[in-house]
Order: sequence, then structure tokens, then C-alpha cells
Amino acid sequence: MQQIPVYAFTGFLDSGKTRFIQETLEDERFNAGERTLLLVFEEGEEEFDFTTYPHSNVFLHVLDQQSVTTKQLQALAKQHKAQRVVAELNGMQLVGDLYSRFPEDWVVAQEVMFADATTFMAYNANMRNLMMDKLVGAQMVVFNRLEKGADTMPFHKVARAANRRIDILYDYTDGTTQFDDVEDPLPFDINAPVIDLKDEDYALWYRDVTEEPQKYHGKTIRFKGQVAMLRRDKNGIFAPGRFVMTCCIDDIQFCGVPCKYADAAKLEPRSWVTVTAKIAAEKHMLYQGELGPVLTAISVEPAVPPVEDVATF
Amino acid sequence: MTKIDIFSGFLGAGKTTLIKKLIQEGYQNQKLVLIENEFGEIGIDGGFLQEAGINITEMNSGCICCSLVGDFGKALQEVIEKFAPDRVIIEPSGVGKLSDVVAAVQKVTGHDVELGYTVAVVDAGKVKVYSKNFGEFYNNQIETASTIIMSRTDSAPQAKLDAAIEILRAHNAEATIVTTPWNDLTGVQLIAAMEGVNTKAAELMDEEAHHCCCGHHHHHEDEHEEHHCCGHHHHHEDEHEEHHCCGHHHDHEHEHHHEHHHHEHDEHCICGCHDHDHEHHHHHADEVFTSWGVETAKKFTKEQIDEALHALDSGEYGIVLRAKGIVPATDGTWIHFDMVPEEFSIRSGAADITGKLCVIGSKLDEAGVAALFGV
Repeated sequence: MQQIPVYAFTGFLDSGKTRFIQETLEDERFNAGERTLLLVFEEGEEEFDFTTYPHSNVFLHVLDQQSVTTKQLQALAKQHKAQRVVAELNGMQLVGDLYSRFPEDWVVAQEVMFADATTFMAYNANMRNLMMDKLVGAQMVVFNRLEKGADTMPFHKVARAANRRIDILYDYTDGTTQFDDVEDPLPFDINAPVIDLKDEDYALWYRDVTEEPQKYHGKTIRFKGQVAMLRRDKNGIFAPGRFVMTCCIDDIQFCGVPCKYADAAKLEPRSWVTVTAKIAAEKHMLYQGELGPVLTAISVEPAVPPVEDVATF
Repeated sequence: MTKIDIFSGFLGAGKTTLIKKLIQEGYQNQKLVLIENEFGEIGIDGGFLQEAGINITEMNSGCICCSLVGDFGKALQEVIEKFAPDRVIIEPSGVGKLSDVVAAVQKVTGHDVELGYTVAVVDAGKVKVYSKNFGEFYNNQIETASTIIMSRTDSAPQAKLDAAIEILRAHNAEATIVTTPWNDLTGVQLIAAMEGVNTKAAELMDEEAHHCCCGHHHHHEDEHEEHHCCGHHHHHEDEHEEHHCCGHHHDHEHEHHHEHHHHEHDEHCICGCHDHDHEHHHHHADEVFTSWGVETAKKFTKEQIDEALHALDSGEYGIVLRAKGIVPATDGTWIHFDMVPEEFSIRSGAADITGKLCVIGSKLDEAGVAALFGV
């Protein structure tokens, strides 16, 4: 089956999505005549102007993101013999909910988020889950309407806290743009003989090690966590971890890593332990057949609970 | 008695600015507690509140995924018990439903606590896109509010402002809508608007035509029939209830033997309630007066008003007995006008919460009058 690439543009209303798509479709380099299905799930102030496109193979449909069905999308792609899809998503809806309704042959090729720097901080403070949802999946975020000379660090911090690998572009009111080249070194040394994890860095490490398990293959880590038992696999294995909060109390979940340990059965569930273990990138049922971090314990010692019960980013 | 006022509105609508203005100018000599459930763009600074003697309670769990439950009611209860305030002002999360906040508040209301104003603050320039794209929670705020206060009406083009009002009206036919820029209004006027005082165009006529019944809702128990005139509800359950409109008595069933009600109108009553005529048997055509009234954010010049009043006086639109209005002028001032046959006065006056036009007469060409004023 021929795959149809989807270029998804996310972000809040008035964040500049429509203008960006409009300008992109006006650009011969991006619009060389491919049959493009343009799906709009949000209707803001800006409108598309087809008269300025170099080619006329763009087919616009305004849809409701909450109710659109896979069948509808399939039918539209077929109707227009679409070779690609450009989608402007609704900022108030969750991206994944829509993706889950994409036809099988649709593949998200790129997801770019737009954010109005003048409202971003307030929106982030009050609708963090919606902002996180967009930041987590995007390859790039564009912060626009920035005054030249404005402090970009607050934006950098929010974006990279959500997504360590996201590219950040600052778009200034004077028309210039600038890539964010601030590096975010991990707060722990992954090349140390033993990676000694501070209590407050658990969430960050967990995300990094689950995203890139191979980077940690063969390394040794020491961290504090709570004992959890795996539902199956009871013998000689447990899952030390922490309760991690991403956004707010409602999203707290236990993030543990499977750890081979002969005396696992003797451990008291929920008790705090300091685990020193070797990390391997292995397949495990927790990762649905994908590679993930699996620990082999060197030592497991009782520990005093950390100051913060719940780990955060 | 503690009243609980809720100021909903999406982020950036201007809730905090409005609340600050009301604290400074509107809620005079009242003991206030402010509950904030949002990380505002502009915080109300503590110094100002301290000076005003206001307690502030922040409940900043303002993200959409944390629903407003349990803790909120408990915190509200505690605040009321601790401070015994006259008013609790709640600024809820801008991305929540106003009906949810009202429901949470209603769990606390009782003997000594009641729901006060339910307000939606909306940015005039954003109504259309927000209403279309946000859907439920945004429209819920508009639909649930008893007063809708529009912000930044002075920076929205007239067409956009008119379209916004139309959307608000479509979602809420009952609420008072404030369309006047806040700087032109006092906190006292805003409070009056929220109290529902003097909001309908037809009430303009009350001062002049107070002998008349153009100001009442007649609810006839026996027919379940409502007559919309303007202001009060009369329930005819109670025989001894007095109806002082037009000075006539509504004695049903006892003295009149008619299938329908016969309201015996005094000879010279100017009854503005055109709903009456299909129910009541008016014997003389010239007793049938109608009142036409609208609220509008449209701006006028004195010349336009003068022209319109001349046209009304010409007889072309029916027999106009009175016309009265308070409307914003294109130059930012407000025009007050009064008209009786062959005599009118047009002058500058104080701003009102929204423009109001009212015409009373006989055989009025209402569509024509509306077109004449362009509303």
C-alpha cells in the first residue's frame, strides 16, 4: 500500500498555523504540484488564499476534529487521489486522539507546533496538558511574535522540559528568525563508572532511558526508588521506580524499570530502596516487544524516602 | 448573608482587570474575599488588595485536566466561615464550564449563602473564532452567564462587534450584554448591569410612562400564557395580589365571563405590550399601542439621530408617540435623545452599558423603524 505522508501543524488558535501553511503552499519548493489534501480542524482569523499557489492541486476541507471518522478521511483521500495531507489541528484537542483515527496508510511525516510567545506562558500555566500534548509530539516548535532581544530561556525551558529533542525556532516581530542552539546537558554524567542519580532527576532519566535505551546499554546506575512487583514475571524480577507527575495530580503514574534480582520476592512492595544495577537495552513485555531498559541488580539496599514523594521534571 | 459572584471568561478576556475595577469602584463598603483559580496574565497585586481590606485565596490548580470538584466546595465553605464576607468573588479557570462552577457553588449555598452574579467576560474581537473552535466550555460560559461583559469593544471594528453580539445573543437570549468600553463606565454602572437593573430598552420608558403597564410580565396561572412586556412577573395565583399597571384590575373568572381575559384598559393607558392584542379584546383600534425597543452597540452621529427622529415624526412609520434612546456616538461620546410629536431633544450625556433605542406608538412599522436606525 502506498503511504500518504501527513504534515501536521499544531498549536493554539491565533498562533500562526494558517499563515505558515499558506506561505508553504505558495512556495514552489514545497508545492511542486503534488495532490495535497488540506484538512482544517480549526478556523481562525486567517484564511487560505488559493490564488497565490503555484499549483492548483490543493483540496481544502474543514472538519470537526472531535467527530471526524477514519472512513471520512479515507474517502477524502480517495476522492482527491491525495498524495499527501497537510493538516491544521485544533489546539484545544489532543493530537493523539486524531492520529488514532487516521487511515492505516497515513503516516505522520512531520509535526510542527506554533506558539504565540505573547500568550504562551499564560496558556501553559492554565492549560498545561494541552501544551504538553503538542510539545511532546512535535519535531519543531516555532515561538512567534517575539520582541527582538526578548529573553527566550523561559520558552526554551518549557519546550525542552516537555521534549528533549524538539527543535526550537524563534520568530521575531522584526521579521528575523533564530534557531535555539542552547544545549541541555543531562544533569547527571552518563559516562561515569556509576551514574549516580539524584532524587530530583529520576523523571528526566526515566524519560531519557526509555526513549534511548541503547545509549545506556552496559552502563551502571544507582538510584532511589520504590519497590513494585510485576504482574507476571514474579520470580527474580521486580520493578523499582517512582511515581512521576508530568502536568498535574491527575496524570501521576508509576514509572518503573524491570530489574532482575534473585531476592526480589523478599522485597516489601512500596518500600524505598537504593538500587545499583547494570542497564541493558532488551526486549521486555513491558515495552510491547520493543527495546527498553532492563536492569540487572548489583545491590538493593533499604533507603529513606526522598524529600519529594512524587518525581517531577 | 454572603453572595457568591462568579466571573468566568477565557484567558486574556480581561477578568482580572474587570474584577479590579469593580473592587475599586463598584463593591463599595463590602467585605470581599477573592478566590482565584487561574494563573492570570496580570495578577491582582497583594498591596492593592490589602489596602482594600480584601482577602485573597488562590486555588491554582487551574489546568483543564484538574476538574473543579471536592476541594473547591470545601475551600469555599472554609473561606465563608473564616471571613464571613458580604461577597465572595470567584475567578475560575478560563477553560472550565461556568455551569460546573455554578453547580459547585450551589452545593454551598443555603440559608446564609447565595449565588450572586454569574458573569462571562468575552473579548469582542475573539467571540467568533473562540465560539467556533473551542466549542463546549466557551459557549457554556456564554450560555450560563446572566450578564455578558464584552471587553475591548473599542478596538474591534463595528462589523466584528455586531457579529460578536449576534453570536452571544444566539447563545443567550436573556443575558444583559455590556458593549460599552469599560473606561466609559463606572463600577457602579457595571454592578447595576449585573443586578439586572434597567437593562431592557423598553424600560427606558418607565420613567415617563410609569402609569402604564409596559413593564410587566403577566403570568396567568389558568392559561399558562405569558405576556411579554418588560420586567416583572405577576402570578395570578394569589387573589389579593395587586396589579398596579394601568390602574386596572385583573380579576379573572369572577367578574368576567369570557373564555379569554378581558383586560379593561384605562382609556388613556399607553400599553406597550403588543402581546396583549391577540388575547385581549381591545375595542378601539387606537388603544393598541406598541413599543419597539432594541439594544445595540451601533454608533450614531447627532445628525443621524436628528434625521431619524424627523422621519419618525413624518408619520411614515406609524403614529409615533414617543421615542427615546441612549446610544454611543461615533466620536466616543454618548447621545441621549427624546422625542414626542413635533418636539425633540438631542444632547450629549453619560455612557450606558449598551446602546438602547425605544419607540412607542400606534401601527408602528417595526421593520421600518429598525431599518431607519440601521439595527
